[in-house]
Amino acid sequence: MTDKTLLSTQPADDMPDGIEERSIQKNSLSRRDFLKISTAAGGAAAFLGLLPQVSAALANTDDQTAYALAQLENQIYSTCLQCNTVCGIKVKLRDGVAVKIDGNPYSPWTLSPHLNYNTPFAETAKVEGGICPKGQAGLQTVYDPYRIVKVLKRKSGTKRGENQWVTVPFDQALQEIVEGGDLFGEGNVPGLRESFALTDSKVAKAMADAVKKILGEKDADKKAALLAEFKTTFAADLDKLIDADHPDFGPKNNQVVFNWGRLKGGRSDFINRFMRDGFGTTNTHGHTTVCQGSLYFTGKAMSEKYEDGKWTGGDKFYWQGDVRNSEFVIFVGASPFEGNYGPPWRSSAITQGVVDGALKYAVVDPRLSKTAAKAWKWLPIRPGTEGAMALALIRWIIDNGRYDASYLAAANKAAATKAGNPTWTEAPWLVKLDKDGKPTTFLRASEIGLMEKETRPMVSDPKKTYDFDYFVTLVDGIPVAFDPYAEEEDQAVAGDLFVENVQLGEFMVKSSLQIIADAAREHTIEEWADLCGLNAADLVTLAQEFTNHGKKACADIHRGVSQHTNGFYNVLAWYTLNALIGNFDYAGGMIKLSTYDAAGGKKGQPFPIASLSTGKKAPFGTSIIRHDAKYQESTIYSNLPEDKRYPAQRNWYPLASDIYQEVIPSIGEAYPYAVKNLFLYMGSPVYSLPAGHKLIEILTDPKKLPMFVTFDITIGETSMYADYIFPDTSYLERWEFNGSHPSIPFKVQGIRQPVIAPLVEEVNVFGQAMPISLEAVLLGLAEKLGLKNFGKGGLGDGGDFTHQDDLYLRMVANLAFGEKEDGSDTVPDADAEEMRLFEEARKYLPKSVFDPARWKAIVGEALWPKVVYVLNRGGRFQDFAKGYKGNQVANKYGRLVNIYQEKTYGVKSAMTGKNLAGYARYIPPQLDVTGKPVEDGAEYDLRLITHREIMQTKSRTSGNYWLTALLPENAVVMNGSDAQRLGLKDGDRVKIVSASNPEGVWDLHNGTKVAMAGKVKVVQGMRPGVISFALGFGHFAYGGVDFFIDGEQIKGDPRRVRGLHCNAAMRVDPYLGNTTLVDPVGGSAVFYDTMVKVVKA
Amino acid sequence: MAEEPNTQPSVSRKGFLKILGVGGAALAINRFAPVSKARAKPSVGSPALSTVPGVGPNSDVLIRMQDELLRALEKQPSERRWVMVIDLRKCIGCSACTIACVAENKLPPGVVYRPVMDQEIGTYPNVTRKFLPRPCMQCDIPPCVPVCPVNATYKNEEGVVVIDYDQCIGCRYCITACPYSARTFDFGELYTDGTAEVEGLIVGQKTADQYERAANFEYQEERERIGHNASPIGNVRKCHFCLHRLAEGMLPACTTTCVGRATFFGDANDPNSLVADLIASPNVMRLKEELGTEPRVYYLV
Repeated sequence: MTDKTLLSTQPADDMPDGIEERSIQKNSLSRRDFLKISTAAGGAAAFLGLLPQVSAALANTDDQTAYALAQLENQIYSTCLQCNTVCGIKVKLRDGVAVKIDGNPYSPWTLSPHLNYNTPFAETAKVEGGICPKGQAGLQTVYDPYRIVKVLKRKSGTKRGENQWVTVPFDQALQEIVEGGDLFGEGNVPGLRESFALTDSKVAKAMADAVKKILGEKDADKKAALLAEFKTTFAADLDKLIDADHPDFGPKNNQVVFNWGRLKGGRSDFINRFMRDGFGTTNTHGHTTVCQGSLYFTGKAMSEKYEDGKWTGGDKFYWQGDVRNSEFVIFVGASPFEGNYGPPWRSSAITQGVVDGALKYAVVDPRLSKTAAKAWKWLPIRPGTEGAMALALIRWIIDNGRYDASYLAAANKAAATKAGNPTWTEAPWLVKLDKDGKPTTFLRASEIGLMEKETRPMVSDPKKTYDFDYFVTLVDGIPVAFDPYAEEEDQAVAGDLFVENVQLGEFMVKSSLQIIADAAREHTIEEWADLCGLNAADLVTLAQEFTNHGKKACADIHRGVSQHTNGFYNVLAWYTLNALIGNFDYAGGMIKLSTYDAAGGKKGQPFPIASLSTGKKAPFGTSIIRHDAKYQESTIYSNLPEDKRYPAQRNWYPLASDIYQEVIPSIGEAYPYAVKNLFLYMGSPVYSLPAGHKLIEILTDPKKLPMFVTFDITIGETSMYADYIFPDTSYLERWEFNGSHPSIPFKVQGIRQPVIAPLVEEVNVFGQAMPISLEAVLLGLAEKLGLKNFGKGGLGDGGDFTHQDDLYLRMVANLAFGEKEDGSDTVPDADAEEMRLFEEARKYLPKSVFDPARWKAIVGEALWPKVVYVLNRGGRFQDFAKGYKGNQVANKYGRLVNIYQEKTYGVKSAMTGKNLAGYARYIPPQLDVTGKPVEDGAEYDLRLITHREIMQTKSRTSGNYWLTALLPENAVVMNGSDAQRLGLKDGDRVKIVSASNPEGVWDLHNGTKVAMAGKVKVVQGMRPGVISFALGFGHFAYGGVDFFIDGEQIKGDPRRVRGLHCNAAMRVDPYLGNTTLVDPVGGSAVFYDTMVKVVKA
Repeated sequence: MAEEPNTQPSVSRKGFLKILGVGGAALAINRFAPVSKARAKPSVGSPALSTVPGVGPNSDVLIRMQDELLRALEKQPSERRWVMVIDLRKCIGCSACTIACVAENKLPPGVVYRPVMDQEIGTYPNVTRKFLPRPCMQCDIPPCVPVCPVNATYKNEEGVVVIDYDQCIGCRYCITACPYSARTFDFGELYTDGTAEVEGLIVGQKTADQYERAANFEYQEERERIGHNASPIGNVRKCHFCLHRLAEGMLPACTTTCVGRATFFGDANDPNSLVADLIASPNVMRLKEELGTEPRVYYLV
């Protein structure tokens, strides 16, 4: 205990006479008694007259008064999961019970600057950072009375969604899932084994190559020939395919789908290892498009690299503003005080900046968010016109020459470097126009005889070569060939920015920036402002301010920009605006995230997780959501008569992935093929997705989906439709590697680690005890299926894989080792005191979770004290000072920013057959997937949007009673003028109806209908004509309604289901019929483009 | 026009602007005699740190204030003057402080030491929102103290208005006397009350309430929530500037978790402290100044 340090500085013989006596007295009295006595006897004055240090000594001889929460013996540093901001936390324990959570001072999220990583652990006991109310309330997610603890199986003879469950032994559940059978009295249900068809990865790879050739063949006859050849070549294995006539669907293994909601590193490695490497399915899909999909996939398109003669290697990522150093920020559809990755890190940077006069910011949002309330300007934009607003600003900046010309002129890396910039764009590159003057692909030097193609070794396979064709720009009107990646100073090419309709050879060309300028000039500033429902003068003021701060300005965008039918182009327009001032990688500009590699992908790291694998499968085939695939190449397309090809049955997504809203509806339509088993992990698409109610129709039909297995900590709005629910460990009971977000400039990897003994049942797999969890289930299924990359020797040379710790501790060891091959980046050893504290803090964990001998054996003697060093600090975090270099961030994006995208242009819509635009241009919102306007008539007169209150996360905090006490229910937030028009007053009860849900209900398909009804909140801070509701309320499961386990009725808690959830009012795409409106390019699920009617309830 | 002191137990959300306003004549304060009880328990403890790690010219304000706190703890308790400063320009209305306080002090339903009020001002499109955290003002002339029939509530030597749970008889006079509605009553409830108890099939209430029943550390005493009568159940409760944390050299829970860094805490008697600097700002004010209660919580507006 730290008291001793203080006591030891005060020699006992310094104590005044009489103190000794009182101390002795206290030993036999409680502190309270002592105080009473001393007061009564008038001894208080003497007591108070003591030197403070001595008083302290006195106080501390009484064990009862020790503030146990300030002792590292009672603290474990981990990572929050109350939302996805991943703040570092310090969990404080009493007798093994988590009783208080604060911020981990090593984590940049909660303290700024955060403590240097080498700060002695022992000094941090009393230092803590700030976390949000959800983080504070995390205890209530963990100690939730409605958490499930045993495997639940749908009761035989009852239908999905009826909430009748029986507990089954863990092993029985695994057996049934693997072998299938008549599991519910409804006839045979296929088990996993039935789909575990293609297990020879050599055959799989050969098939995949052959399929690739088929897909790449454009000539119909040749394609047919290749198909026939495929059938001959693989005659012996055709029965392992889903459909021999469509080998591009891949093997039957693909009929098992794994879909996740919130997933972080470690568990993602686990799932990949099982599903892809072990089972061999290509169908592992996340939930990105329900969050900020088009932000990610525009980011991917903007980061594609020109490599081996094609555009490839784009990162699924996005940029955010380094607001701590910004002088001016435009937040668009983003509220960093309430969400936006996020409050603990960004809020103080913003409030401090504003109060100091160092930062000015504007908020573009139809609702007066808390962030908007403190803004210099609030621009209540008409939803869906965000792209128009960006183009207005772009127009003004170009028309007035306020862009960074030296940044934009750089055609290649050498020129960028010369100008001192880490990034560059295609601004001066020449683009060929088609006969209608529409921009197509970049002009290549060989096409105008400027320079011959060059044979170069391929980056992906240096043994092979390809022909590199130089790109072209004009320099003072003269065509110059350049290599975008040339680094030598003499190869620096700075091109002309505005090139309009120049004829070069047979081609009419424009520069990329000219194309963008033309798009921005489609309307005047006033016209753009009218579209946005804003004042032109405000837009001009914003554009001026944006260009008044050099690189210390940025437009920070989020869901409000991306979750529209035009999301991709909205995002592209705002990122293009940022490019005009060239703020990428600058302090105060736009930055990317940076993480330490835990999976061992860096040279020298001790445990390369991905390659430590035995019998790796080679999944191939079109995914159920048709991502990364072109419709026009598919055998579906070639088999259709030409006049029946467009529109496709459902959209294809060559530029996006993890398209959440496509998974279940595609299964419902068996497009492109039927699925037999769906696993859903930590997701609730029914609740979270717009028009999620349509999923219920599919999930309740076992013919469409024969087996549905979920992992959840309660019975949620989606898991209530499952056949099996496996209880999962909560965020204080499990491992995860949490990565980062682009709001954080530092290189980090926060760890989530077991803090308390799991509340779920313990089970046995591979002869090892472990809590039921995602990991236990995957290990157990692997054991039954005999997957070679699990169990004995599952890690190949790395050893056995029979417990989650076998994987996760190795990942921690990778972090401890660092990323330098020579080991110079390795963390120090934890000292003896740190080692002691580490074990002491974990003494209440069961051996199945924490066993120092077992843990040490996994990573080895040498790495063990380093692993402890990392775990004690809750992960690995770069020091604050190392996050910046001069006026730039240290962890750079550092490459080409694609403001003109040849690859995007090269995609033809599966709906229309037309090429996509490869640059920022205004596309109107509220279009269906085929591009037709969704017009529901004048009676639907209010635009529905959503917002976040900081006290709730989308679907998983309604059981946090501290938070529901703060805000027991949400409301329909409406401007006073709308309320007046509709004859509504604050507090009136209303219902939300829309053209695709005229009844205004959630039909749960179990005999219950839940009305989308709640109170009206009348405000001034909302654009008239727009209404909003906060996400996270209006639940209809999650412990809020009654359910039955083993025949026993368990009463739900009504506090958990208050308020309303209007996702079911969100427009169903009229063409798709079972899915929300979508952004057909970026994949976003659309939250903000529905017109609704508010009626009295 | 003279205004009666607000003795309502709750401040309406829309009323806080009125509170903020300094209009109206001050009420006669004479009836609130200054109180100074000799049995005050000073915040003494065991700051382990001689300095706080990370302290320096650019350190987070939390680190700076914690460092200043250690300096204050070296003084005689009566020589330090704890004050809190809340910069309303920085408050983002997140309520992290409210929940941190609930968690730290194990507050049951109905007991809140530090609510945050949210008020919309203006007409579209010229509209804003103001957020106002409202802890106990730790008045130097506290109206709540003289009304206590058993002297269970008093101002301790450091100036913090405390409650002796063993003396408090739960009469709640003090609740009515407080013009800031800073006091609430502990009826002995739990947030998990009424949740399902089915053991073995789900976690159930009996396991789930562990964190709620666990002892808190208010006034440096550990009190579990057991039974229906043991203190603090049946007592009036209020903010005490987290004396038990101060004793350890730690800032109040609301202050460390303030994500907008709007809350400042420290010893106003230390001329080099941040709070001493802040309360000399031209934009400083206190709530209901006209009541003459001399609050130790200051607001920057």
